Amino acid sequence: MSKKQLPKIDSKSKQLEEQLKRALADYQNLERRVEEERKLLGQLSSAILIERFLPVLDNLENAQKHLKDEGLEMVIKQFRDVLSSEGVEEIEAQGSKFDPNLHEATSVVEGQNDGMIAKVIRKGYKINSKVLRPAQVAVERQQIDQKTEEKAEEGKNTQMYTNENNTNESEYTKLEH
Amino acid sequence: MSKIIGIDLGTTNSVVAVVEAGKPKVIHSAEGRNIIPSVVDPVKHIVGDVAKRQMVVNPKTTIFSIKRLMGRKFKDAEVQRDMKWLPYDIKEGRDGMAVVSVEGKDYTPQEISAMVLGKMKADAESYLGGKVEQAVITVPAYFDDSQRQATKQAGEIAGFKVERIINEPTAAALAYGLDKAHAHTIAVYDLGGGTFDISTLELGEGVFEVKATNGDTHLGGDDFDAKIIEFLSEEFKKESGIDISKDRQALQRLRDAAEKAKIELSTTAETEISIPYLTADQTGPKHLQLKLSRAKLESIIGELVDKTFGPVRDCLKDAKLDAKKIDEVILVGGMTRMPLVISKVKDFFGKEPHKGLNPDEVVAVGAAIQGAVLGGEMKEMVLLDVTPLTLGIETLGAVSTPLITRNTTIPTSKTEVFSTASDNQTSVEINVLQGERPMASDNKSLGRFILDGIPPAPRGIPQVEVTFDLDANGILNVKAKDKATNKEQSIKITGSTGLTQDEIERMTKEAEEHAKEDETKKEETETRNRADALVYQAEKALKDAGDKVPADVKTEVEEKIKALKEIESSAPIDEVKTKSEELSSVLSKIGESMYQKQEPEGTKGPEEPKEPDGQTEEAKAKADSDTGEVQEGEVVKE
Repeated sequence: MSKKQLPKIDSKSKQLEEQLKRALADYQNLERRVEEERKLLGQLSSAILIERFLPVLDNLENAQKHLKDEGLEMVIKQFRDVLSSEGVEEIEAQGSKFDPNLHEATSVVEGQNDGMIAKVIRKGYKINSKVLRPAQVAVERQQIDQKTEEKAEEGKNTQMYTNENNTNESEYTKLEH
Repeated sequence: MSKIIGIDLGTTNSVVAVVEAGKPKVIHSAEGRNIIPSVVDPVKHIVGDVAKRQMVVNPKTTIFSIKRLMGRKFKDAEVQRDMKWLPYDIKEGRDGMAVVSVEGKDYTPQEISAMVLGKMKADAESYLGGKVEQAVITVPAYFDDSQRQATKQAGEIAGFKVERIINEPTAAALAYGLDKAHAHTIAVYDLGGGTFDISTLELGEGVFEVKATNGDTHLGGDDFDAKIIEFLSEEFKKESGIDISKDRQALQRLRDAAEKAKIELSTTAETEISIPYLTADQTGPKHLQLKLSRAKLESIIGELVDKTFGPVRDCLKDAKLDAKKIDEVILVGGMTRMPLVISKVKDFFGKEPHKGLNPDEVVAVGAAIQGAVLGGEMKEMVLLDVTPLTLGIETLGAVSTPLITRNTTIPTSKTEVFSTASDNQTSVEINVLQGERPMASDNKSLGRFILDGIPPAPRGIPQVEVTFDLDANGILNVKAKDKATNKEQSIKITGSTGLTQDEIERMTKEAEEHAKEDETKKEETETRNRADALVYQAEKALKDAGDKVPADVKTEVEEKIKALKEIESSAPIDEVKTKSEELSSVLSKIGESMYQKQEPEGTKGPEEPKEPDGQTEEAKAKADSDTGEVQEGEVVKE
């Protein structure tokens, strides 16, 4: 082997070493992530399923508002018991201060208690302390600039469309009703 | 060795991706989402979904669509127009640039975007488990220097070294690997949440050049949703007589239902929309229940889809291109999941658009690929190939037995043990095959060689270890070794993956077409092989048992053996099956009539076709006659 070839081989071996390091790093990252994801998966899969059942509970409760039926009340309680045994709890909303980490404002109403929740439009739930579905609420504001608010509503709807392809979310709701 | 990540900094949403082990992957946010809304509250430092939730409560402090202001002068016509519908305050800042004013403090669009980028940086760091400091960020093809500069600054504020700003359509083309294809002109059709963009690119010397771009900055998914909501609310009015177009709570539920229906109708022909207790009047609660077909949905939104083709035509005109002259069409943006959009684009360009990748993520994926190329990772990365066709050897009855199945990532190696097909067989022929068909004769023979010097033994006893080793360059080494003598023979085939794309496609297609008849043929061979094995076992059992078998049993077995032997290779398959079963049942009588254990091989039932498959006499005979004929590659005798 000539001496001329040596630097070439040297750089080639450096390049290969670099490649090997990258591959190893990627692999280690993958292993770590697989482990994490495996832990999460168990919780997540039940969360996704429960989330799909929440609209059914919403509607049972809606029905009860009209029917005020004793039997239906028992069914609703049964439903809630199953949820709570799975670590699901309702997010406090009525009368509390609006917190975007837990609540999603769908509208504002004029009122004295600025920033407080005036009405719960759709109940929110947490599972094992993580938000499963934020509560949809109407929030009180002392002064409402009608025009600004409409614009914001418009803007929010612009933002709405993409909820579609988030298959692995647990934080935000995508399919309801 | 930190990674260069790719970021699609969108008007409504942003996505971040990275290349790992040569493959791009979208990074999910701390909340577990692949997409984060480009929404920021700069005062409270809230970004993404959480910021979006407070939008109606704090319309003046929740900034969205900031990309529309990026690098623009306050006096620009676009800014003046957008100001009319954006709820937050926009004013003139330094050098006449547009800035947003939040609670008395001015923020440049760069600073607002930097908060979105900052979140993506944090998400990427937690995903990759280390610092991330370099990024490739995408911008629309129509962005001018000032807008690109502003985007770069946003990246720098977020703590990135911005390695490159690339065009969104270019990123999409990279994601589909079109830089390596022989495409010359590419059209990218991008229908997103709030904007529509069409671009034509030309590829020359590995570089993409944007030829023309057009679009509609206020046409997107939200317009589609609005149409569907309008339809639903009219239907409800027809049914119940109640107007809910002013009822916020009801509208919210309609919106969710419309969204869900739109998604479902991308894969099904009809969906049911049911919203119980939507509202109530004096007569009681009112529900919305209706079936929506894809055809109906398409009639509702068809006009909007048609609207995109005006800009498409203008774009082609500017690029001086004919729609049919476009080599490749790429779909980007969530709305391009709609079958109507796909079919209209297909009709317009006269060709099937690319749509294999997630249209919401394709731009970020392309940016990540660009990042990996810049980082030297992609270029140096050993691009692992897969073997396009199955590799195997010929076994008893001219059956093709696979060792390395198609789409296996190479380099790879596989070892299996085979045996002989007849007693005292001293050589086996290894016929290396390539293809998906079950019968050897239908596949391509890559080469063959003979391993001889196997000590004489009953069939099934010798162990011949066959090893296939396919290296990264597609060179196949096949080695056969007799485990008793350690004698080995090998062949090196250099053309194992050297098939042209056409050949691969043809062979794969043929395999699919012939799948059924091949399966029958293979079953037949297996049945005959089993019959052959059964005859052998029976003869051996009789011989081993000698006079311990009662004469009547012996006669019966002999008769059945004869009957099966005669028809084994010629009679219809059902007859072979019946005769095999008959022999098999009388055979057990031998065991019953003897109280002693038989030798292990003798106990081997005929139902063990997988056990040492070997070379047939036929194959062997063939081997004797055409050893000289090697079709591809050369036999290396060691």
